[in-house]
Amino acid sequence: MKAVLHILGLMVRDQRTAMIRGAALSVLVLLMGAALLGLSGWFITAAAAAGMAGAGRVFDVFRPSAMVRFLALGRTAARYGERLLTHDATLRALTSLRVRLLRGFAAQPWEALQTLRAAQVLNRITADVDALDGISLRLTLPLMAGVITHLTVMVVIGWLVDWWLAVILTAIFLVGAALVLVLGIRAATDPSRQAEEQAQILRSATVDLIQARRDLVVYGQLPCHLDQLTQTQVRRNDHLRQLDRIERRAGVSLSLTAGIAVAFAMTFGGLLAQSGLITPAAAAISVFAALALFETLIPLRRALSDTGRIVQAARRVTAVLPGRIPDDPAGPVPMGPLRLTGVTFRRAATAQPILSDFSLTVAAGETVALTGPSGVGKSTLLQIAAGLIAPDAGQVMVGDCPLPGLSQRGLRGVLTYVPQRAALVQGSIAENLRLADPKATAKQMRQALIACQLWHVVEPRGGLDLLLGPGGSGLSGGEGRRLVLARALLRCPAILLLDEPTEGVDSATAIRVMQGMRTHLPQTAILLAAHRPEERAAADREIHLTRS
Amino acid sequence: MHMQTGKTALANVLSAGQAGIRTGAVLGLFASLIWFAQAALIATLLAGLLAGDLPVSPLFLGGGYLGLAGLRALIASSAEKKLFNAAERVVTETRRRLWVQETRRADAVQGGPGAIAALAQEKLDALIPYLTRYAPAQMRVRVIPLLILTIAFWHSWAVGLVLLMAGPLIPVFMALVGWAAQQASERQMVEIGQLNDLLVDRLAALSDIRLLDATQPAIAGFENASHALRHRTMAVLRIAFLSSTVLELFSAIGVAMVAVWVGFALLGEVSWGTWGSPVTPWAGIYLLLLAPEFFQPLRDLAAAWHDRAGALAVAQELAQREQGAGQVILGTGAVQPRLVGSAEIAMTDLSVLRNGQNLRYPDITLPAGATVAVTGPSGAGKTTLLRLLAGLERPATGQISVAGQILTDDTADGWRAGLGWMPQQPHFLNQTLAQNIGFGQVPEADILKRAGLGSVLATLPQGLNTVLGETGAGLSGGEARRAMLARAMQAHPLVLLADEPTSDLDAETAETVMQGMLELAATGCTLIVATHDPALIARMAYRIDLPGAGGEL
Repeated sequence: MKAVLHILGLMVRDQRTAMIRGAALSVLVLLMGAALLGLSGWFITAAAAAGMAGAGRVFDVFRPSAMVRFLALGRTAARYGERLLTHDATLRALTSLRVRLLRGFAAQPWEALQTLRAAQVLNRITADVDALDGISLRLTLPLMAGVITHLTVMVVIGWLVDWWLAVILTAIFLVGAALVLVLGIRAATDPSRQAEEQAQILRSATVDLIQARRDLVVYGQLPCHLDQLTQTQVRRNDHLRQLDRIERRAGVSLSLTAGIAVAFAMTFGGLLAQSGLITPAAAAISVFAALALFETLIPLRRALSDTGRIVQAARRVTAVLPGRIPDDPAGPVPMGPLRLTGVTFRRAATAQPILSDFSLTVAAGETVALTGPSGVGKSTLLQIAAGLIAPDAGQVMVGDCPLPGLSQRGLRGVLTYVPQRAALVQGSIAENLRLADPKATAKQMRQALIACQLWHVVEPRGGLDLLLGPGGSGLSGGEGRRLVLARALLRCPAILLLDEPTEGVDSATAIRVMQGMRTHLPQTAILLAAHRPEERAAADREIHLTRS
Repeated sequence: MHMQTGKTALANVLSAGQAGIRTGAVLGLFASLIWFAQAALIATLLAGLLAGDLPVSPLFLGGGYLGLAGLRALIASSAEKKLFNAAERVVTETRRRLWVQETRRADAVQGGPGAIAALAQEKLDALIPYLTRYAPAQMRVRVIPLLILTIAFWHSWAVGLVLLMAGPLIPVFMALVGWAAQQASERQMVEIGQLNDLLVDRLAALSDIRLLDATQPAIAGFENASHALRHRTMAVLRIAFLSSTVLELFSAIGVAMVAVWVGFALLGEVSWGTWGSPVTPWAGIYLLLLAPEFFQPLRDLAAAWHDRAGALAVAQELAQREQGAGQVILGTGAVQPRLVGSAEIAMTDLSVLRNGQNLRYPDITLPAGATVAVTGPSGAGKTTLLRLLAGLERPATGQISVAGQILTDDTADGWRAGLGWMPQQPHFLNQTLAQNIGFGQVPEADILKRAGLGSVLATLPQGLNTVLGETGAGLSGGEARRAMLARAMQAHPLVLLADEPTSDLDAETAETVMQGMLELAATGCTLIVATHDPALIARMAYRIDLPGAGGEL
């Protein structure tokens, strides 16, 4: 519940005015509904009484009938305004929350980002945040509006009819609703959490299954993986059915609460009227108001089934919601060669350092290739040079500026790192390239593509407007790799770190790509992890790493 | 036409739950009818109080009301149960069908996996409110307004006329609004899927986006897309709210007019509107209590109409996917006994359509145990050839025969039982490494060693029980490739199809992978590798050089 309140706080802070207005209108709608039926009941009964008494001529018909019409129209208008206002405010607050979450993920350390599974994060952000709309729309607003309405109606009935009747009537509603809510939430929490968990599993397993479907087909695993999904669905259905049962029971209890309230108003009001303490018209007010107040109970049923889901979602979202993301100023851009001095690095698990006391300087315009077997630490060294992981000893400097002293953005301004598995995004070639430089002109983009031997491939297929699918699908592996390189070129970095840049590119093209990049960035210090001869040939010198 | 296909599609989706929905709707109708008795009790009480001639104590009337309320709640509850179960059956079966259909696709999945996940999950779940609400509302609309109208006309033609005038306007308006809502809802559904895809896509590239210092613009782009979705959602909601507001307005005016007329009639102010004798207090109160119920089923139907619009949009998307399901893989992807016979492969007149161009393959016969390098520039169709050979795609022309039989739906599963498969992009399921290699079998220690995974396992936190990220995060490129090799070896294949098995790898690791594959070849396994790697090409006995897009052989 604490998490729910935290998120509610964020939402209210984000959309304060709209939320307060929405809440006021919710109360107004319920009150007008109760007033409309109460007044109508009173009007007819009182009119009948006056008619029987032959006092029809003196009975003031115009004010009540005008009031009935006013309430009917006013309630409808208030309902429309309330719905629009609360939904829009909630959706706005949720958008802010989503962006905040994405920003939080983006600010996570490099290693954490690497292990982030897109499918899981998708679950978290979309499903959890979607579920949170219930906090305002289905929990807070209806509950608050309901309680305020009941208390107001109690005062009015007490004043117009009878205080005992009013207090007991309100007590029946509030106690009944509270019992259903408390017991129901307690019963629903567990199945609701489980159903939600299984929905998340189903969702990420669906993504998994679609992506790995070819592998599974070849190994004859498709039907059994489909069966696994089906079984998860069966388990989820069990919980959903359990939830439905709880919800139906709550529905019966709420109907009974309203039934008891109306029956009480009939009995108690009837007895009071029979004994002449109140008029039959006053008794009608309480019966009709009790009928109208059932409206306040209707949202509870929905709130009940959603609470478990909402609480879980709020908990997960709160856990990853960043408190305050430190500003990352662009900072001064340092100049000079890339210098590594005495760099030592251990993977946490192994005591043996992968790199020990490693020093290297890459001057402007120079190309240095790191070679050596897989696992020797080439990629690690590049990541250290890129400032993504900190060495255990030694330091990395750009010119005279040690890396820890630089802001992330300042560092990205001078240094570009192309990892082994660089990702492309869905969208046009131009959109992919503009990630590197939002202000890149068509000419600049074309030149980068030409340097990477990609222009002649994409030109006949739409050039910069060629649309790529999710993850850049639509290009072959080698083509995608060259697009990643062209993207890096657009950064015009002083230092370029490349991890096996031409993988998947055929030999002749690879040689031209390496040349093209050098020509495009004549003054850049290039450090690359290489194992292909085409890449090594492009280097001015080679540094062979061996297992220490 | 547009609506028709949606309706047909929806009817197809619904067929599994038809009977349960019908029963539920009838029960729901019974529950609603109890109100007529409850209202009569209230009218009796108030009329009796007015006249001072209450036949029984208010206690009995109140008790009777409560009893009826309990009965009504129980019947309504059992109706809901029937409806929920039927809806669940429909959604469960539809979801299963969708999974089967999308996983058996030969071509790329439309809209990406995020769109499928959204459709299979929340969009299908969105059918439930339609299934549980529309049919019962329809049933009530057919019976209750007519019944109330009859009662109204029996007591007073004026009240009957008011209801008769206000009532039919509702369905007319509802149809107009429903049509607009359906269009808006379709747009919104499309956009939800797109936003989810955009989010998966951007998240997958988040680390690259940060390296390019593009976090701000990427987040801004996502924010814009979210706001666009909010606008769409609000457009749908505005129509929905507006229509329900108008319906509420009709109903409110109708009830207010009934109340005012009854009031005036009871006062004796109006003398018209009845069949001679003036309206009694009992009838006046009873009519007032029934008037809202005249409109309620119509309003319920209008609310369900929006669910229907959503359901139609979902059904249409399902139908589109089904129709657009172009190519499917050969066979079912199940475990089958291997084809009998030597693993000879022959390709005749083989071609595929790719990006609108006809890619032709040479006619080639490969003896069992051959080692073949498929080479050619990027985009020449190397990967496609491997997929054709695995029965994952269907050729435009020509045929492949394997083990002396033509590769068809009937033979594909048996053929694949003898295949090893190494895709270019290793993709790991969200399961342990052992599961990813052995699919339920414990990976053989010897195979792990021969694939060069031994040293890798030592560095993983939980060895074979380590759960991997989807592109093998936690493993280096070479390690992931070796895991793919181990998986292929675990299948003890007759033919190994490998797509760029040594790309991303340094010479030493590439050597390990090559040795592993050659060891397989030494046991008589056919090797077919798509590659650029000269070292690997040199180790293969045959070479198929594909000329590239548009080229003729």
